[in-house]
Amino acid sequence: MKRRSFLKGTLATGAAAIAVNAGLLTPSTVLAADWNKKAFESKTTDDALNAVFGSASTTASGDIKLVAPAIAENGAVTPVTVDASGIDGVESIAIMASKNPMPMVCQYSFGAAAVGYVSTRIKMGETMNVIAVVNAGGKLLKAEQEVKVTIGGCGG
Amino acid sequence: MAINIRMRGASKNGVAEIKALIKHPMESGFRMNKATGKPYPAKYIDMVEISVNGTKAIDAQWSGAVSENPYMAIQVKANAGDEIKVTLKDNTGETGEDSIKLK
Repeated sequence: MKRRSFLKGTLATGAAAIAVNAGLLTPSTVLAADWNKKAFESKTTDDALNAVFGSASTTASGDIKLVAPAIAENGAVTPVTVDASGIDGVESIAIMASKNPMPMVCQYSFGAAAVGYVSTRIKMGETMNVIAVVNAGGKLLKAEQEVKVTIGGCGG
Repeated sequence: MAINIRMRGASKNGVAEIKALIKHPMESGFRMNKATGKPYPAKYIDMVEISVNGTKAIDAQWSGAVSENPYMAIQVKANAGDEIKVTLKDNTGETGEDSIKLK
């Protein structure tokens, strides 16, 4: 008997494990331990958001303070600050550059002792939008701002 | 060689702003070396962790699109005397860490 059904059983669990590894069944990322390869290799902002938050539907929010220069002389060091400290229950913040080949720049997950605030410097290849997405209590809030990148400092 | 981190922080009304400057090339792996026609191999910090008194507070993941010699500022709920520690690693496995006691 049972050898057949036993084998079947193992194969099924094996397949499930593979699916988990492939990121098909990824649980939502709260203080995730592994580097989110899928998100960082996504070619579009929607794919990247799906890989990080499991959803790409965001609501624009004025409560996120996104500070980035209107004109960046050197796109390789664009200062970006995301201040979501005015929002309750911020779980994570993701920063994206809309036209970079791989838009996802960085993501921060917050524990109990953290404040929803991040300031960093990012690389931008051309004029594009900086997008900050804040996950607060399962809701995705978004703020967006265009940054003009002038190459060579001659205006553009 | 360990990754060099310089950090500062001060607590005000129970919230501390921590600023860190990290010395790292942050090579994305896509920049072409014109002389050889091959891209420079990727070397960037991918995991960053900030803890307060040994408890993890922030877990960050970076890509090669974070600027060279990264600057990072974050805020945590902490008071004078608390220990803030930053631990990080890059995609080649090199690690770095630094900690400060808040004033």
